[in-house]
Amino acid sequence: MILDQLIWPLLLVFATLGGGVYLLAVLDGLAARSFGLPQAQSVWLLPLSRGAWLLSQQANVTEAPDWWGWRLAPALYLTLAAIGLALVPWSRDWVATDITTSLVLWGSVEALATVVIFLQGWSANTHLALIGAYRYVALGLSYILISMFVLIGVTLPAESLALTQVVASQQELWNVLRQPLGLPLFLIVGLSITFRGPFNLADSTDLAGGTSVEVSGPQRLVWEFARSAMLVAFSGIATTAFLGGWLGPWLPGPLWVMLKMLAVLAILAWLGRWFARITPERCISLMWLALLPLSFIDLIWAGVEALL
Amino acid sequence: MNTSFFVDVVFILLALFAVYTGWRVFRTDSMVRASFFLLLSFITVGAIMLLLSAMYLGVAMFFMMGVEMMVMALFMVMFMMNPAGLNPMMMVHQHKLSIGAGIASFVILAAMALLSRFPVQPLPAGLEPVSSLGNELLGDSMLIFESAGVVLLATMIGVVVLSSQRGRFGSAQEGSMPPGLEPGGEPAGMPEEDSGAGGHHHGH
Repeated sequence: MILDQLIWPLLLVFATLGGGVYLLAVLDGLAARSFGLPQAQSVWLLPLSRGAWLLSQQANVTEAPDWWGWRLAPALYLTLAAIGLALVPWSRDWVATDITTSLVLWGSVEALATVVIFLQGWSANTHLALIGAYRYVALGLSYILISMFVLIGVTLPAESLALTQVVASQQELWNVLRQPLGLPLFLIVGLSITFRGPFNLADSTDLAGGTSVEVSGPQRLVWEFARSAMLVAFSGIATTAFLGGWLGPWLPGPLWVMLKMLAVLAILAWLGRWFARITPERCISLMWLALLPLSFIDLIWAGVEALL
Repeated sequence: MNTSFFVDVVFILLALFAVYTGWRVFRTDSMVRASFFLLLSFITVGAIMLLLSAMYLGVAMFFMMGVEMMVMALFMVMFMMNPAGLNPMMMVHQHKLSIGAGIASFVILAAMALLSRFPVQPLPAGLEPVSSLGNELLGDSMLIFESAGVVLLATMIGVVVLSSQRGRFGSAQEGSMPPGLEPGGEPAGMPEEDSGAGGHHHGH
């Protein structure tokens, strides 16, 4: 019982965290290269050497930080990513945390991520980090509503809040085709929750690094690892909610999940490099005036489709 | 391992942590810290609800309180302008009244918990808590919940409209003025103005 319910799920989550984050870094390097950006090293070695460098770097401290927040925020962000990853079903029976409300728990991960990222910027007690923190709250409150409506859309055909049921409901038609607005909107949520590419308002270059401007050394490594880990967890949820999870011909289910997650990560890495960062004011307008109404339409679409 | 013993231990730890973080809300010295201590307290209560098999309500507590406390911290800092909530400030007021009210409500609640007889009602087999809750919310009790929701929304909008009318340093329509360094003194930190500007303190 201990082996089945504790050891294997933990190993599964940790292995996906480590492997997924490394592969995301490689994919990001390949995306950068595809746009002609020179890479100092082989894209396969670059993430490892950056990690080793950060591990040996001195850890910086600001004047009078909020110690609990300063120390815990990167670890808490990583914890939330691990919780999200634990919810991903690899096959009908192979789920680390199989609860009846796993989709709502993912919603909680998104909501609490806002708190943790705010805490990271706020606790440093420096002004650029604080601006990044407040910007992220504005972004977080905007994308959470879009995410909720899109995810409620996928629960309607499943008639359940459990991710395993959501996958089972896509036996005939994947949600990416059944609800065509869903996945594009959800990908925007993924870029926002990890403040990447166009939605990098929190740790952006105009704030000299934003919420993590003063963070260095191993703590910075945890923060960057957690950001990538959250995107890996997000790709797992996107795979489950829209791309049919373990469903697919020929290959075993877990392999399909892995391939689909890698595809989502590759698309996100490429989108993150392709789009330039938008200014915070335009970003909020875009979220509330364009994307939120689109998510309403997605939900109405899903509802009408479920009734027919 | 005996499952009910394990559940009891987890319940006691979570309950103690919820009470401790709830107490810290009043003892800490910043609005942001107070909000996040309250969030921790609510998260532990949500975990206790998961122990009680309330799978939806427990998890809903996490995301409701996550967003709610974040918004609360943001609005408190916006309205109070204690620089970003990091500066120390007293988090309680009306000490005697609040101590009295706290002791009275603790005694009443503790007496209810200790003296009342709770019914023993094990969960019926085959109960689906999520769908039964959904049927309750959108079935017989729909009118109550929907009207409560609309009233709450109207209250929130009304409170923001009323309180943003007058900022801490004056009317919101005229631009805010910082207080003087001495009582009744000149506004502190205001730039020197040309005599021909007409005495308005508007920004352009």
